[in-house]
Amino acid sequence: MDASVTTPSEKMNVQVMHLLTGVSTHGDQRLAEVERDLAQMDVLLEEAIKKLCSSFMAIHLAVEKQQETLSSMHSDDKKSPECVERLETIQSEINRHVGAAITGLQFQDMTSQLIGRMVKHLTGLRDVFGELDSSESPIPENNYEELADKLNRISDRVCARCDEQTEKVRSSVSQRHMESGDIDLF
Amino acid sequence: MAEQFNNLSPATDVAENKMAKTILTVDDSGSLRQMLAFSLKDAGYAVIEAVDGLDGLEKAKQQTVDLVLTDQNMPGMDGLGLIKALRAMENYQSVPILMLTTESGSEIKAMGKAAGATGWLVKPFDPARLTEVVGKLIG
Repeated sequence: MDASVTTPSEKMNVQVMHLLTGVSTHGDQRLAEVERDLAQMDVLLEEAIKKLCSSFMAIHLAVEKQQETLSSMHSDDKKSPECVERLETIQSEINRHVGAAITGLQFQDMTSQLIGRMVKHLTGLRDVFGELDSSESPIPENNYEELADKLNRISDRVCARCDEQTEKVRSSVSQRHMESGDIDLF
Repeated sequence: MAEQFNNLSPATDVAENKMAKTILTVDDSGSLRQMLAFSLKDAGYAVIEAVDGLDGLEKAKQQTVDLVLTDQNMPGMDGLGLIKALRAMENYQSVPILMLTTESGSEIKAMGKAAGATGWLVKPFDPARLTEVVGKLIG
C-alpha cells in the first residue's frame, strides 16, 4: 500500500479501488476469452456446415450418376468396359466426398472442447463473484480500519481465484478452419 | 446418428477376416470414435474402441493390438499418460502409437515424442490420409 496513505478512510478508499480493479480486470479477461472462443466456434461451425452441405450434395449427384449408369447397363443387358470404368470413377468420387464429410463432421469434437473451456471461464467468473459475497460476515459500520482489512481479505481471495483460473483454463483447440490437420511421423 | 454410422459401417466382413490388423482407438468423443472406426474398418482393419486412457490401457492389456491411435485430452488418463504406460509394457515397446488431437503446439508434440509416440496427427483427420499413414506403419 502507498506509504502516503495514512488515515483509515484513505486506506479504505485504496482497498475499494484495488478490489474493483481486480474484479474488473479478471471479469474482462474471462469475458474476452469467452468472446474469442465463441468467434472461433462460429468459424468452425460455418466451415463445417458448408463442407457437409457440399459433400452431401456431391454424394447425391454421384449416386444419381451411378444409378443412371446401372440403369443403362441393365437396359443394354451387358457390362461394357466403359460402363464398368464409369462406375469405378463414380465410386471413387463418392469415397472422396464421404471422406470430406467425415472431416467436416469432426466439428463436434472441437466445438465441445471450446464449449467446455467457456464453461470453465464462466465458472471462474462466478467463483470470483462468490468471493464478493459478504453475507457471512457483515461489513462493519463506521469502522474504516476494520472495513479496509475486510476489503483487503476479499481482494486477496479474488486474486487467488484469478490465479487459480489462469492455471486451470488452457486452450487445447488451435484450429481456425476445418481442413484436415498436419501429420508428423517422428 | 450413432445408429446411422453403425449401419454404414463395413465392419461385419472385416470382423470375419482373421488376418485383419487390429487398431485400438482411444478418444472420449463418441462421434470421433465412430468416424475413426468407420474409416479404419473401411480400409480393412479391425477396431477396438476405448473411451479414455484408463479404458485404453485396460483394453491394451486384454489384447495386444497392432497400432494405437489416441487422443490427448481425456478425463482420467490423458494420451501422454497412456503412451508412457504402454511403453512401459514389454509387448508395447515397438507397437506404433499415434496421437490424434486438436493440440498442435511444438512443446506438447515434443512431450509426445519423448513419451514414445510414433507420430502426431492434428484433428480434424482426413480418412484417406489417416489410412495411408496407418498403412505405412502396419501395412
